[in-house]
Amino acid sequence: MAEAGPARAPGPTTAGQLVRLVEEGLQLVGSGDRADLRRRLAQAMARLQDPSIRVIVVGEFKQGKSKLINALVNAPVCPVDDDIATSVPTIVRYGDPASAAVLVPAPEQPDGEAAGDGGDSSVERRPVDLADLPALVSEKGNPGNSRKLMAAEVCLPRRILTGGLNIIDSPGVGGMGSTHTLTTLTALPTADAMLLVSDASQEYTEPELRFLRQAMRITPSVAAVLSKTDLYPEWRRVEELDRTHLDQVAPEIPLFPLSADLRLEASRLQDSELNAESGFPALVAHLRNDVVGKAQRIQRRSVSQDLLSVTDNLRLSLQSEVEALENPAGTPQMLADLGRAKTEADELRKRSARWQLTLSDGINDLIADMEYDLRDRLRRIQREAETAIDQGDPGPVWPQFSQWLEECVAAAISDTFVWTSERSQWLAAQVADHFAADEVSLPVLHVADSGDALDPVDQMPGLDPGRVNPVQKVLIGMRGSYGGVLMFGLLTGIFGMALINPLSVGAGLLLGRKAYREDKETRLKRRQGEAKALVRRQLDDVTFQVGKQLKDRLRLVQRTIRDHFTEIADEYHRSLSDSVAAAQKAAASYAQEREGRIRDIRGELKKVDALHRAAKAVAAEVIAAGTRSGAGVG
Amino acid sequence: MTPSTTAGAAGLIREALEVYGDDPQAAAVLRGYARRLAEPLRIAVAGMVKAGKSTLLNAIIGEEIAPTDTGECTRIVTWYRHGHTPRITLHPITGEPRNLPLKRVDGRLVFVLDGVQAEDVDRLDVEWPAPALQAMTLIDTPGIASLSQDVSARSVRFLTPEDSASEADAVIYLMRHLHASDLRFLESFQDTGAGRSGTVNALAVLSRADEVGAGRIDSLLSAGTIAERYSRDPNLRKLALGVVPVAGLLAQSARTLRQPDFEALQLLATLDRAARERMMLSADRFRRSREPEGLTEEARRSLLARYGLFGIRLAVVLIRNGYPEPTPLAHELARRSGLDPLLEVLDRQFQARAEALKARTALVAVGNLLDSRPRDGSEQLAASLERLQANAHEFRELRLLAALRTTGVELAPELAAEAERIIGGHGTAPDLRLGLAADSSPDLLAAEARRCLARWRRAAESPLTPRSALEVCRVVIRSCEGVLADFAVRDRRAQSA
Repeated sequence: MAEAGPARAPGPTTAGQLVRLVEEGLQLVGSGDRADLRRRLAQAMARLQDPSIRVIVVGEFKQGKSKLINALVNAPVCPVDDDIATSVPTIVRYGDPASAAVLVPAPEQPDGEAAGDGGDSSVERRPVDLADLPALVSEKGNPGNSRKLMAAEVCLPRRILTGGLNIIDSPGVGGMGSTHTLTTLTALPTADAMLLVSDASQEYTEPELRFLRQAMRITPSVAAVLSKTDLYPEWRRVEELDRTHLDQVAPEIPLFPLSADLRLEASRLQDSELNAESGFPALVAHLRNDVVGKAQRIQRRSVSQDLLSVTDNLRLSLQSEVEALENPAGTPQMLADLGRAKTEADELRKRSARWQLTLSDGINDLIADMEYDLRDRLRRIQREAETAIDQGDPGPVWPQFSQWLEECVAAAISDTFVWTSERSQWLAAQVADHFAADEVSLPVLHVADSGDALDPVDQMPGLDPGRVNPVQKVLIGMRGSYGGVLMFGLLTGIFGMALINPLSVGAGLLLGRKAYREDKETRLKRRQGEAKALVRRQLDDVTFQVGKQLKDRLRLVQRTIRDHFTEIADEYHRSLSDSVAAAQKAAASYAQEREGRIRDIRGELKKVDALHRAAKAVAAEVIAAGTRSGAGVG
Repeated sequence: MTPSTTAGAAGLIREALEVYGDDPQAAAVLRGYARRLAEPLRIAVAGMVKAGKSTLLNAIIGEEIAPTDTGECTRIVTWYRHGHTPRITLHPITGEPRNLPLKRVDGRLVFVLDGVQAEDVDRLDVEWPAPALQAMTLIDTPGIASLSQDVSARSVRFLTPEDSASEADAVIYLMRHLHASDLRFLESFQDTGAGRSGTVNALAVLSRADEVGAGRIDSLLSAGTIAERYSRDPNLRKLALGVVPVAGLLAQSARTLRQPDFEALQLLATLDRAARERMMLSADRFRRSREPEGLTEEARRSLLARYGLFGIRLAVVLIRNGYPEPTPLAHELARRSGLDPLLEVLDRQFQARAEALKARTALVAVGNLLDSRPRDGSEQLAASLERLQANAHEFRELRLLAALRTTGVELAPELAAEAERIIGGHGTAPDLRLGLAADSSPDLLAAEARRCLARWRRAAESPLTPRSALEVCRVVIRSCEGVLADFAVRDRRAQSA
């Protein structure tokens, strides 16, 4: 089909080549005692093998999200119906042969231990028959998700998915302020890109644009899809109108007019003209080049950084040993320099470095702010609710009232959530800056100080300053394997399935108009009292549960950032001590052994240098590609 | 019974005028309500943006006069009422009303505001000599959830004013799917204070029903199933009397089917099925297609705009299957579009109760006045209001209907359903109340009414019936008696004649 398209530009290092480079690196590190470096490369390898690029498809219900996915992968994996169809998020990813599974909450742990990080332990993955899946995830077979499924997973052998693309079908968002909106928002930080689907029957509505604005703050990589262009003769007008609206929000968002029906028909008839007309090739190209391409560029950069840093670390000790062997006279000087560097590194590690302070202070502040923010918002809601209850009789309208309450609470949490997410990313960047300022200066300068003896070391471009985009790393860390999807289940658990309300009807209006005069004063007073107690208890629960969730999330962010930088600092330290040890050993070794050892090390060094150059080439390529595509977009 | 309700409401307003006669503002408002009692029922057409409000309005009127567009179109509340000569009046928020020039493009009105900003306009008033408007005044409202907040706000303010009774007696609420905003809107409409019978003046329409099934030929069946589900939905049940699926565009165009349209459709019907389906894969394809010869691009464009893919598909199938003439085709299209059922429900639920609904609005207004400006002599008025509300059987029926659909009563489900039917939940004609076929003979109806009466009397006397349900039984018994009394009157007239 037409998707072979423009994706195949010659040149960029393929994933296969990268894997080979990492394998080489692993060989070089060997089975020796540098377990830290090996672990780092093993992680890089794991990321390469399972790239998982998540694209979440969002939009109000009945806009054709599921059909869009079906047409994209050309298989009826997501249930499509005239009535509301999707009740459970579905993840479509690569897998051969085709298979399906549902994720259900695992039975409670007997010790009641909450799943702190990742939380995967609370999920059970149950394989199901692919043919049974639609019945399980559709509104018909599973009304209101009564089976309590957290998500469904479909693996398909499709070319478009091979780059690691995971497409997530979300249950429709009902508008602004809904708990559905909230669950979708919470899943967004774990997504690499978002497709906002809206059909061609009308231009964007207010709730849609409001959602878009909120979502843009979490995930900047957004594409808009105008669906069902086959059905509406005037779709070009709607496209124009939507374009105008998008330009006001963010002009760089692309808009793709599509017809899923034409695409499905095209693949049935093997008609490439029809496929072109469906508008899908443009979306496929976008997913390939911009979404997958960008994710791959980030990945290539991070792998090349890993390789560079590993080779630098390896070279440091090899280089010092070979220098010591070849130039025994300079050895004491070199040893002294290395020793000084090591002591300084040690000290810096002991008194907690500035980045660590930044991190722990930052997280503590953030948690305190978050708690304050959440409480403040909820308290305002509580006040409004209590005023409203005082003005009327809560009894007859209790169901509506509790729904109003849920919606307000959901909206408040959405805001807090978006805000925390922004702040934690900013914090990660801040820590990275401080880390770089602290650590970079240390070994490079000192090693260079040791004079001509260590001349070649001078070329070291600075060990990895930990800039392997910590923000990305934080996001990846939070991702877990099912992390984002879990939030869907969690929040629906707290709130039940409430809907939304762009018409902001205050609670006062809701209750105030229904003054039931006939009621006995005392009974009314009692009911009001009970209602207020219920509201308070509910909000208390929410503060507790959500506060815990958000706090856990932030702690996870903290741990991820800390581990990331600590690891890098430790690697440094190991390399410096290894160098000292190697140089000392060299000084003590016998002359006849020297020749052989020098040869060995030279050989090793050559390999390390080769790998280093290869990694550098990849890094340069990524940067070049970045500026190229940047120019293309701008 | 009905005349006395209207008379009672009119009397109440007279009484109120005596009390508030020296307050010019209140008096003007009251006189307005007195006039309203004699005017046709006011039905507002409301819904989210682009739900197809103006299109449906055109379909009900049977003429394409309200402007419609792909973009958001209606920005001002517009009244369509009956008048012998066409006339458009602009009512600004401040200042004197003035006439607008009558300008039409393709039959549709173009409102030339002549420099006046939409936000300064209170409403537009269109008088039009359409027969359909004799029985009701239709009010077109801007969409809710519009991108321009003040447009939405204008609609909400109009339909659910904070401090007075609504300008509309009943509302047709259009929704494409049941969004919570739809629910919330209906909620705020139904609980306007003193009348407190809510629920009985709103009808939900599943609009653009042809798009539900992506324009497939069975789309309306699908839409029917969904409407059925919605009407059982407990949330919606307490807010609207029913849910009717309507394909507005088709309904509008079917009522105004033109000869060139028909010829074009006939030409399309000559194509064989495979070719037709290939051509109608998408709107673009249809417009580009070369077959059949003789159909110009302009004609294709007009067909698409007027009927949509679904309408064209349906019309062509109908032409091939026994509707080769324009008039029967137009009728069949209108029937299939869901317009006829909608008009029927409107008639059954709103028109049959028009007097009670109008009287109810007047009562709400007087009640609000009493609440907001109590003064000497108003206790007397409050007592009259109370008396009228408690005694008029229509109001008791409306109130019970609301209770049955919202909070429920302590009755077995079958009994509750029967009670709902007898008090007029499906319509106020005797056959509808008794659940019999429309052509049942008066004797059969009377016999059934007597059976119901006996059954409900037994229920009322049974010691097992909970106390709270006794009031329900009383209202139902009164309704049965009402049906029988009508027959008795008719019999007597027949005998004396």
